[in-house]
Amino acid sequence: MRNAEDGIRTPALPAKRTATAPVRTKPLIDPSTTPYKESPKGPVGRSEKRIDGTEKVLGTALYGADLFYNRADYFAQVVRSEKAHARIVKIDTADALRVPGVLAVYTAKDMPPGATNRQGLIHRDHPVLAEDKVLYRGDAVAIVVAQTERAVVRGRDAVRVEYEDLPVVADFDDALAEDAPKLHPDGNIMGGKRIRKGDADAALAESDVIVSETFVTQTVDHAFLDIEAGIGQWDGHLLTLHVSGQWAHEERRLTALALGLPMEAVRIITPATGGAFGGREDLSIQVYLGLVALKHPGKTIAMRYSREESMRARHKRHAMRIHYTVGAKKDGTLTAAKITVYSDEGAYASTGPAVLRKAASHSTGPLRVPNVYVDVYGVFTNNNPTGAMRGFGACQMAIAYCGMMDRLAERLGMDRVELWRKNLIRSGDEVTTGQRIPIATAIECMDAALKQFRSKKKDDRPLAPHEKRGWGMSVICFGLGYGDGFPDASRAIVKFNAAGRLEVYTGGVEYGQGLLNMAGQIAAEELGVPFSQVDVIWADTGRTLESGSSSATRQTYFTGNAVKIAASELREQVLDIAGKLLGVHPHELDLHDGKAVGRYNAKLVVPIDKLVEEGRRRKYSLEATGIFKPRTVCENYDTGQSPRSFITYLFASHIAQVVVDIETGEVRVERFIACHDVGKAINPQSVAGQMIGGATQGIGMALMEEVIMDDGVMRNPNFTDYILPTFRDVPTIETVIVENDDPGGPYGARGIGEPPLIAATPAVLSAIGNAIGVCPHTTPCNPQRVWELLHPEEAQVPYAARLSLAPGHAMMFK
Amino acid sequence: MFFQPRHVDEALEIRGRMGSDVTPLGGGTDIVVTINKTSMRPKHFLDLTHLPDYTHVVRDNGNWVLSAGATFSQLGKLPMKALAAAAMTVGGAAIRNTGTIAGNLGTASPAGDGCVALMAIDAEVELTHATRGRRTIPIHEYFTGFRRTALLADELITGVRLRTDWRTAWYKIGKRGSINISLVCAAFGMSPEGGVRMAYGCVAPIVMRTRLAEEIIEKDGLTDAAIEAAAQSVMKEVAPIDDHRASANYRRAMCGVLARRLLRELRIKNTG
Repeated sequence: MRNAEDGIRTPALPAKRTATAPVRTKPLIDPSTTPYKESPKGPVGRSEKRIDGTEKVLGTALYGADLFYNRADYFAQVVRSEKAHARIVKIDTADALRVPGVLAVYTAKDMPPGATNRQGLIHRDHPVLAEDKVLYRGDAVAIVVAQTERAVVRGRDAVRVEYEDLPVVADFDDALAEDAPKLHPDGNIMGGKRIRKGDADAALAESDVIVSETFVTQTVDHAFLDIEAGIGQWDGHLLTLHVSGQWAHEERRLTALALGLPMEAVRIITPATGGAFGGREDLSIQVYLGLVALKHPGKTIAMRYSREESMRARHKRHAMRIHYTVGAKKDGTLTAAKITVYSDEGAYASTGPAVLRKAASHSTGPLRVPNVYVDVYGVFTNNNPTGAMRGFGACQMAIAYCGMMDRLAERLGMDRVELWRKNLIRSGDEVTTGQRIPIATAIECMDAALKQFRSKKKDDRPLAPHEKRGWGMSVICFGLGYGDGFPDASRAIVKFNAAGRLEVYTGGVEYGQGLLNMAGQIAAEELGVPFSQVDVIWADTGRTLESGSSSATRQTYFTGNAVKIAASELREQVLDIAGKLLGVHPHELDLHDGKAVGRYNAKLVVPIDKLVEEGRRRKYSLEATGIFKPRTVCENYDTGQSPRSFITYLFASHIAQVVVDIETGEVRVERFIACHDVGKAINPQSVAGQMIGGATQGIGMALMEEVIMDDGVMRNPNFTDYILPTFRDVPTIETVIVENDDPGGPYGARGIGEPPLIAATPAVLSAIGNAIGVCPHTTPCNPQRVWELLHPEEAQVPYAARLSLAPGHAMMFK
Repeated sequence: MFFQPRHVDEALEIRGRMGSDVTPLGGGTDIVVTINKTSMRPKHFLDLTHLPDYTHVVRDNGNWVLSAGATFSQLGKLPMKALAAAAMTVGGAAIRNTGTIAGNLGTASPAGDGCVALMAIDAEVELTHATRGRRTIPIHEYFTGFRRTALLADELITGVRLRTDWRTAWYKIGKRGSINISLVCAAFGMSPEGGVRMAYGCVAPIVMRTRLAEEIIEKDGLTDAAIEAAAQSVMKEVAPIDDHRASANYRRAMCGVLARRLLRELRIKNTG
């Protein structure tokens, strides 16, 4: 274990990172049972400089908006619905077409033949352009094309759409009312997921204590910096789109389907991308650009959103209402959990079905609960569609199960840490889905976080009479990859190019998380070439192979493995060449530091670039492909149980210390410790960066971020009122990286991605509860909510009103 | 047209001639946002930033005299606690470096932190006309309604005067540590003669003073009982609304909390 970031102010990264090998914690598993152990000698485990760092710092990297300015012929803008729920009576484009410079206005009728006019990552239920109804304020109704950006904005504003209002379904309660208007043909319940493990009712009846609570989590925006922008053109054969996404190959498929093109006729090239957090998983401007490009062959079409349009159009994190009941014995041992979750799907499914499944399978987190009963429902409303966002259903559930542990500890009069320790899974225990976790390091993460928390001398500033200090902790687990039997694969090509440089091709998207370094460092490690000799070519459907999405915390594990498989095959070629050249058996040689070296005879040395030259002369391909496609097993429909729902699990523990002004409800986070078991940090600085960023986002979710919807109208589609944390709101995030090799990960790596956010929010909430003596149940805990916790009689929305849908409202699984 | 006068007389002449057709421009931190967000498109701009002494802050005979273009960053350095603290909570550093006090007064938002602070120290606003000359009005007469002020369409705000010898206190409740819009903010001031001013932002259509509470303190002094009575009075006097930022109940309760907190602070502190 190592204190990687101790003392560094967030989010400024340290000037210099140690390149020393991290200290491993005591192996939890008997080393003789682990299949293999690798000791990297090269770049793996070092904080190598980011491949894309220099150009991003200098401003020469081209993001979508840069392309937009550089090379556009025509500009497009989407006309968006001003109604949350309405029938379209008439779209009058006459005024718009009279605006000088406006070339055309397209509606659903103008979709090319064969086009499905549908988008959606799992269910394709979202019309690209509305046909007869709009289901949220932000639904696309028409597209305007003009010669200048000014004209296209004027044209957009001049399109008159006549609507016939339909009743607005504002929340779960509206949606599930008996006389609720049906938003989709199958009704307002999008879908659900259940877990039946043991007999929760019987176990609850026998429990010594039962604690119940209802948690209400908010709608969250991704708020990435790099607003949707890009260009596209159609040359008569190929539609080329330069647009940021998270999964170039799936974007190609969805765009081709929506527009009725063969898949080969679409090429997606991902420009430099500034953040995604799940917000780029659904299509954004790709189809609109595509449609307009098809109508104007040979022209380069440009499109960009404003921040407001970006917030109004894009999907969000699911707001959830979680009814949670746990039972325990007197000594704190958990016996059962019974959970009902309603989640606001918004107008369309997006990735909702997968989010619901993830919520269910993570509903008891890293806790040993023998009897679990879970119902999760996704409910359609006229709010923004909700879909993927960092945490993906698991973060809402972490708020609930961590919150329940605090409540149970209070009820039992037990120390919180002891209660956690008693109930955390050990290696070999089962999680919610019944999957046994071979290496479960929840307790180690918790202890490492506590050690860091207690290691510092208390130099807390004295408190005013109206201030209270408290600390809180979370322990979480997260199954990485799509899991649940969904096909999940990464492919990579590694080759030496004509100039002798090592090229790595991956379809994965780099949006800031460090994918390029991860892939490059693994390839360089495997082939023993210096990291500076590596180029990574990424996310271009014309040049790279499908590598799955940059989401689900999967790229290090999946693409990392694919690169490693490809690189090790290429390594065999290089060793073979070296063997032929030196007249020895390839096994007698090793590759490192840019050379082939004799294992037993140090005099045998050939530089790798010589070998590449020689290989080329001998007609070796000097290229290899790797595919990593592990299988997971579908969760059983009736019980939600699976022997291997996720390929592997990540564990983390966060600790927050806060000061609460009990008169005003203001909360200040004083200290924050993030501890993650990442298996192996391929690039420790990138890992720490992810931890700091995720923790910051989690603090935002705990304290301030919230999309405020009022009868289908977004009240804060801007950063004046959508409150994101600033430097002042986030203390130094003390990062602790724990490394216990994952037997299946590249060099033992698991990944980092989502868990930093998942663990952060409940830690802050727990700290607030500890400070004020009332456990929070509603996020975000902004000053008013904290004050309402202390003065429930003054609450703006009486808490009881949120309980109208009692647990057992289950209408789906009967 | 974009006028960029080099002399005050020239600026006043343009404003006097064109009235509301011309929009005075200081730091632009409000007007540019308004233009971007709404359909508002001013016909003409009057850029004041090239006027001589536009950003001066000087001490004059027991008064601070702030020129119209004094920025929040400048105000943040004044030894006048409420005004300096209020100025430093406005926006981020970039906004504070360019946003001006006259702009804050011109926009006259009930959430204008600078306005609240000026209200607590009985500042006087100088309004100048090309021919009618200068008039000075007390700040509590300056605000007349929601985003409405005593400034006439042909006048310019040319300066603000405030006494140097008041004790003041300030508190702002927001959702985060910086670039923070007030949920409720309060600035209190006490003159050497014992006059008390209690000003609140975000709890009424205009920046307001709670005069009944002020009277209680002026009559009974800063005793515990008077402070409590004043806090109760404040909660009755303010007229907050429910909106997406906070509930009326919360805002009202916070007015009481801030009354107690800031009055006690005035009682303890001798400087400021």
